[in-house]
Amino acid sequence: MGRRFKLNINHNSEFELDLAPLLAVMVKLVPVLLVSSAFVQMMIIETELPQVVQQAIEKQEQNPKAAQIAVELNKKDGVKITITDQGQQRVEVVGYNSQQQLDLQALHHKFQEIKKEHPEIFKIEMNPDSDIPYKEIVHVMDEARRARSNQVRFPVKNEKTGQETTTDYMFPEVVFSNVMDG
Amino acid sequence: MRRKRYEIDIKKNQTFGLNITSMTDMFTILLVFLLQIYSTNDVQIDLAEGVRLPASISDKNPVDGIKISLSMKELKFDKIKLANVQNNSIEQTAIDPNDSNFVKPLFDQLQKYNKENEKSAKAGKILFQADQELPYSTLRKVLYTASMAGFPHLKMVTVVGN
Repeated sequence: MGRRFKLNINHNSEFELDLAPLLAVMVKLVPVLLVSSAFVQMMIIETELPQVVQQAIEKQEQNPKAAQIAVELNKKDGVKITITDQGQQRVEVVGYNSQQQLDLQALHHKFQEIKKEHPEIFKIEMNPDSDIPYKEIVHVMDEARRARSNQVRFPVKNEKTGQETTTDYMFPEVVFSNVMDG
Repeated sequence: MRRKRYEIDIKKNQTFGLNITSMTDMFTILLVFLLQIYSTNDVQIDLAEGVRLPASISDKNPVDGIKISLSMKELKFDKIKLANVQNNSIEQTAIDPNDSNFVKPLFDQLQKYNKENEKSAKAGKILFQADQELPYSTLRKVLYTASMAGFPHLKMVTVVGN
């Protein structure tokens, strides 16, 4: 009587995975990625905005009676925000702290308050003094352009449909108004 | 009887297996890191030499445009050096004697670009890289000259950060 063939499987056997091909792929891939990667991630500050915000900016430009917001930067006062609405002027100042640095958090809150008062305004005029470093100008622009928190939103009207919607943009249109001054 | 000299037993045909597990681990970590930072932008901007860009919270990817850079040492149009920068200011020889904000070599270069690239000149996009420590008076000269040459829209290049 023939004995039935039985496959002998040793359940306790160990085997070593051959990692050499995997390593070979990685050795090729890593230099390729190292060469083509940009380690300094660069962005730009630009004015490409959602259509609703663009329309609101256009509407503001067509309305000469709209409130105007001018932001002055100087080493003495810090940031001086002048709001001109219907012939009346109001000045808000955010100064430097004890370490001679701008209080950016206070500045951001100030911009938020102004935006809540004037939700139809999207443009600010920036007037930095000659000695203000570029990085400080960028910081002020950052605080003014967009709300840092996603929960803070401002109403904006869609001019085409007439519907109210919200946006986190505050003053995305920054114009350097003293560029052409003598 | 003479004593036998001690000899180290070397097996010349011996082979050994290199343990590459730890090396594979290292490469895996490196690969994940590189894949994570790998930029997929359409436009790659080369950081101009000697320019320390300011940090911004802006999350807009760069667009194509004319590249102007202003470092603590020089003003460049793409890779062409236009003027030296000394003591945080563009050298006096490059400034128009009748207009203190007008940078003549930059204006000439932008005009030349306008003539050569009529289509892209209409879009008027300038990618401006400037050193974060430069004062506004120096930047203003570039902004003013660019506006005069028909490029009022400037894209300020920044690095990601707070």
